[in-house]
Amino acid sequence: MLAGGRSSRMGTPKAALEWHGSTLLRRTAGIVARAAGGPVVVVRAHGQELPALPQGILVVDDPRESKGPVQGIAAGLAALRGHADIAFVSSTDMPFLHPAFIRRVLRVLGDSESTDVALPVARGFRQPLAAAYRVSLAEIAERLVKEDRLRPAFLFGECAVQELDDEALRKDPVLAALDPDLDSVVNVNTPADYQAALARPAPEVTVQLFGVLAKGGGKSGPHAVRAATVGAAAGALGLVLDRHVTAALNGDQITRDGETPLVSGDTVFFLSADAGG
Amino acid sequence: MPAGGYFGRALVADAATGTSATLPLADEILRAYIGGAGLGAWLLYRLGTPGAGALDATAALAFVFSPLVGTPLTTSAKFAVVAKSPLTGMLTDALASSQFAIAGKLTGHDAIVVRGRAPQLSVLLVDGGGTALLDARHLVGRTAAETDNELREQLGRGWRVAAIGPAGELGIRYATISHDGRHAGRGGLGAVMGAKNLKAIAVRSAAKVATADPRGVIAAARDLRERSFGPATAKYRELGTLANLLAFNAIATLPTRNFQAATFDGADRLAGQATDEAVEGMRRVARSSCASCTIGCEHIYQVGRGKKARVEYENVFALGPMCGVGDPDAVLAASARCDELGIDTISAGGTIAWAMECAQRGLIDAPWLRFGDPAALLRALDEIGTRGTPLGSLLGEGSRQASRTVGADSASFAPHVKGLEMPGYEPRTLHAMALGLAVNTRGADHNRSGAYEADLSGDLDRLDGGDAHVAAAIETEDRAAIMDSLILCKFLRGVFTDPFREWAELLASVTGWDVTGEELRATARRIVLAKRVYNIREGWQPSDDWLPDRLLTEPLTLPSGRVATLTADRLRAMIDAYYSKRGLDHDGRPVPGTVDDLSLA
Repeated sequence: MLAGGRSSRMGTPKAALEWHGSTLLRRTAGIVARAAGGPVVVVRAHGQELPALPQGILVVDDPRESKGPVQGIAAGLAALRGHADIAFVSSTDMPFLHPAFIRRVLRVLGDSESTDVALPVARGFRQPLAAAYRVSLAEIAERLVKEDRLRPAFLFGECAVQELDDEALRKDPVLAALDPDLDSVVNVNTPADYQAALARPAPEVTVQLFGVLAKGGGKSGPHAVRAATVGAAAGALGLVLDRHVTAALNGDQITRDGETPLVSGDTVFFLSADAGG
Repeated sequence: MPAGGYFGRALVADAATGTSATLPLADEILRAYIGGAGLGAWLLYRLGTPGAGALDATAALAFVFSPLVGTPLTTSAKFAVVAKSPLTGMLTDALASSQFAIAGKLTGHDAIVVRGRAPQLSVLLVDGGGTALLDARHLVGRTAAETDNELREQLGRGWRVAAIGPAGELGIRYATISHDGRHAGRGGLGAVMGAKNLKAIAVRSAAKVATADPRGVIAAARDLRERSFGPATAKYRELGTLANLLAFNAIATLPTRNFQAATFDGADRLAGQATDEAVEGMRRVARSSCASCTIGCEHIYQVGRGKKARVEYENVFALGPMCGVGDPDAVLAASARCDELGIDTISAGGTIAWAMECAQRGLIDAPWLRFGDPAALLRALDEIGTRGTPLGSLLGEGSRQASRTVGADSASFAPHVKGLEMPGYEPRTLHAMALGLAVNTRGADHNRSGAYEADLSGDLDRLDGGDAHVAAAIETEDRAAIMDSLILCKFLRGVFTDPFREWAELLASVTGWDVTGEELRATARRIVLAKRVYNIREGWQPSDDWLPDRLLTEPLTLPSGRVATLTADRLRAMIDAYYSKRGLDHDGRPVPGTVDDLSLA
């Protein structure tokens, strides 16, 4: 995740912007972590202050400033050497990024050893900061930066790229169902973009309660609520995440972190933390 | 003068003669092992004949009390039964509750140990006058509850009875010992008692025991009582452990059809949350509690207007989803049948589920024994409980021994660790628990290792076992060692925010010792290690700390699409780290110096 941009058009660091109860960086990091199932690296400018991140995220400093996205890609891929073979590269300013989109793009490289970059061309634009790269491209990217060839197109010119247009992306039925308009790639560059994003509602998710939390007629659900975080989903049903309550996201990840991001289609189970016999 | 809460002695009875002797228990031993499961481990090491079979006459069977028994501290009326398990050949310790604990301790002993074999089926009587044998041949084949009722009528007021059912008499290797409807259930203690020709042990109070700081104990009891009404016990109070069923099903942690799946389509019908008789399913109709308990976790269920039965998550899991049975009537009937026979529901369900898979694969010639068939479940239980058929006799040995007889690849899906059948926690989706189950001295056990708590806490990734899971498994094992020795009910565990310190304060007020939380941490490590040292003496091998092959070779796909995989390499790495942190060598044996303070010699 490249967090080191100057946010010049926004006028304030985009990583720290709030969206429905979480910062954009926290939200994006959580979604990437969930979808990738591996290490997550945040690349920041040297000394850049970042909002809080979930546990386990590696933060690295970009050794060269103002060199653009290829430099950030080089730094991020370099940090992943030995830990992963392929990586999803993301900016921090995509509040509607969906895990299904990330999985769809990553799958291209998983299925084809001869492809180096899976590059979405979504909503009419190439999306180099919502694309999958082989980690081995780090060396080429570093060389290009040294040669001052800083545009992603130079990198794409030196490796095998598979472009994915809207139709190709939507061939994934899960993505087509959960993000039909490919809002995953909508980013916020200006205050107007940000205001437009804020005006959109939080994602619709399904909540179910278990055990004593469900006690009382009809409380167990499922309940459809709008919530961008686990904490907001809990709040929508009058619950507080504390040492006695945990959440299971899609029956999988268990958390008490209220800032855990949610996306459309998610199901959240709230359980007694003392589950067990 | 013994410390407060103790008599400073154990009674060692000889079932062959009905005679007994007193074994003094020094203050330093009591402080080192406290009581319950801890003191029981020490007693078993000292009084058990090394290398003797679990069902040999010389084997020791210990009923162990604790300094807290008899105090007003909530949930403290508990006792541990400790012996070499006929299922595992290693130490087993099972806890049960209620008045037997109080009357047993107030015979004037911190433990009652039985060795020898009575010449005929008998009852061992223990009171202030010592011990005696009572002819019990008229009780042959009776259930534990019937035995309890008849003996109390025969003996008169004040007697409390722990008894075995028919399965214990017949040596079913997972037979239980029962008191007041509660079982010392795991590991086959009922078979050990049956092998001594003892249908029951009856105890009667004859003494008093003082605490060091009675006012302090009363204040602590009042505080603990208040906390026991809070949110940490709400699940047990309001729903009981059966509340786990739907939650575990939702998070793919409900072992189903002998661990072939981790979710069960019929879970809703078994969940006990139907609100009226028109809904097909189990309904809660009553609630009860052990003596000296303010939680009241016992929930009585009923299907329609049918039979009522006490239901816990573990018996519903084992006799329901584990066997593929979704008929609540059948699961209640099977639970009640296990109670009548006096067999452990978890081992019964696990062994039957294994046999169902064997039948499915053609390894056992029993085409009637099908997953999901309520009649097959009930028939299998009857054949086990009466040893009425060759198949019943085979399954009465437990899944490990039965798989050795059946052969082929049936051992790879036999659901046990060290011979003890697995509880209702799917290790592939609970990696801390996977480690806890593998290394636990009792075998596959969720009470001595509650590492699932860490998996379900959200503090670590339950599908990615590593160092954090190792630390969590050790921590929960240590906490269990202290709670099971004090003894306090595990359902209280959530009310303690600084548990070792708080437990030390409770123990100090009862005993007068200047015990600290740090000392109790050392005590926990000592108890865990002493059990391992006992097992090593009795033949434990490194390969015993492991899980069934199925769990390491067959991944599970979760509803989210994520694949839950627990490989042999991952388990090996966690076990190695556990050994290292426990002061054990690469093979799981204590390194020199770590056993110096066990006082076992």
